[in-house]
Amino acid sequence: MDSDRIAEIIIAEIRSTVPELEAQPITRADSMADLGVDSIERSEVILATLEAIGLKVPMVQLHGPRNIGELADLLHAKSKA
Amino acid sequence: MTRAVGIEARAAGIEAMNVYGGMACLDVKELCLHRGLDMPRFENLLMQEKTVALPYEDPVTFAVNAARPLIDALAPEERARIEMVVTCTESGIDFGKSLSTYVHAHLDLPSNCRLFEIKQACYSGTAGLQMAVNFVLAQTSPGAKALVVATDISRFALADAGAIEEWAYSEPSSGAGAVAMLVSDTPHVLRIDPGAYGNHGFEVMDTCRPGPDTEAGDADLSLMAYLDCCEGAFRDYSRRVEKADFRESFGQLCFHTPFGGMVKGAHRHLMRRLYKTPPKEIEADFQSRLAPSLAFGKRVGNTAGGSVFVALAGMLETAEINAPMRVGLFSYGSGCCSEFYSGVVTPESQARLRAMRISAALDRRHRLTIADYETLLRGESVVRFGTRDAELNHQIVPDAWPVDAAGDRLVLDAVVGYHRKYIWI
Repeated sequence: MDSDRIAEIIIAEIRSTVPELEAQPITRADSMADLGVDSIERSEVILATLEAIGLKVPMVQLHGPRNIGELADLLHAKSKA
Repeated sequence: MTRAVGIEARAAGIEAMNVYGGMACLDVKELCLHRGLDMPRFENLLMQEKTVALPYEDPVTFAVNAARPLIDALAPEERARIEMVVTCTESGIDFGKSLSTYVHAHLDLPSNCRLFEIKQACYSGTAGLQMAVNFVLAQTSPGAKALVVATDISRFALADAGAIEEWAYSEPSSGAGAVAMLVSDTPHVLRIDPGAYGNHGFEVMDTCRPGPDTEAGDADLSLMAYLDCCEGAFRDYSRRVEKADFRESFGQLCFHTPFGGMVKGAHRHLMRRLYKTPPKEIEADFQSRLAPSLAFGKRVGNTAGGSVFVALAGMLETAEINAPMRVGLFSYGSGCCSEFYSGVVTPESQARLRAMRISAALDRRHRLTIADYETLLRGESVVRFGTRDAELNHQIVPDAWPVDAAGDRLVLDAVVGYHRKYIWI
């Protein structure tokens, strides 16, 4: 699964966690915080994405990405490791 | 549930417990609106009020005011058996001298007593409780009691704009409060399950107090560490305790509560990770097993070291308890260390906790206006860490000074040569 596919999953999880964002265009360059996704919701999006791609890593290892693209890249790198 | 192998069923735990939520509070939603915070789903955060420490309230006054009703209720021969006073805090007022020395003095406790302080962010209270419980279980001094007091206030002697910005992430949730617990072999309030605990700790820089009057942190990283710990500590608990089941073993749950929304997130995380429970069931379980624990936390804000016990007290105040019931407790302290442990409460626990009339005391706090709060925030009257001499202005918020003063509340009056002088009002 490549980084773009993971980004699509993240975006789908964002829309499902925060239904208000259903109709809003979201790209790899967006940050969840700027979209108005709060910290609890962000952790839920990450957890749901981990489940969807079948990856098990501590949450603290996923801290740092500044936008959806960077998060997808990091998850991609972790899933190959 | 089977206890860990080799542990005798000796009784130890919390004999009596009280929460002290200070003299003044602030409406959190009002604060968020005033700060212009964009919180479209504010209700999800499960916050209402927070205690704001007045300049003449410090970790000592909070601790003593929490403990005094417990000590007053003891017969002289029982008081004489308090052989350890442990203060648990991240709001220390001196690098060497512990708060426990002041607490011991103002409660007039016997001098054959161990006095010390424990620090590990919000985990401190659990570290102190377990220290005391093990002192009782070890029977090194049969019949002895320990007084454990978790006491914390938010630092808001904010030196400059940078410090204010650092603090912004946690301003709405930062509260103040103390929980006093008498620990003994007659645990009327919470009988600890001996040997039933699990830890999860690792080094992480999520939130900290890097200077005498500053707080800093990263809300995302802290939440992630909390979630990892919640799962890790419970897994360690189930390694030690045969047949432990997060859904079935505990009638109620009490978690460290930075704010209610975080507890809800952690519960959802755990239910999903452990059992893949569907969202609707998770919500129902949260309402029945965790919502009662938020009763006081949503009124005092994050009380740090005492927070998990504020949750325990809130649960005892509001949950339905008709028979002995096992409670699961989760404590997390940034930096980080965490623990999941358990104990048993009874209808008597509830009656004893309710007799402390904690809710009524919270109702009597002075409700600060935003203008008063801003005055306090400027920090001109705050006794900063390391202050040599000071006289406290008790009229800084005139309406907050109690009119019904009965001589049973301690406040800071002055600092003379670094020595804090307190008076009963």
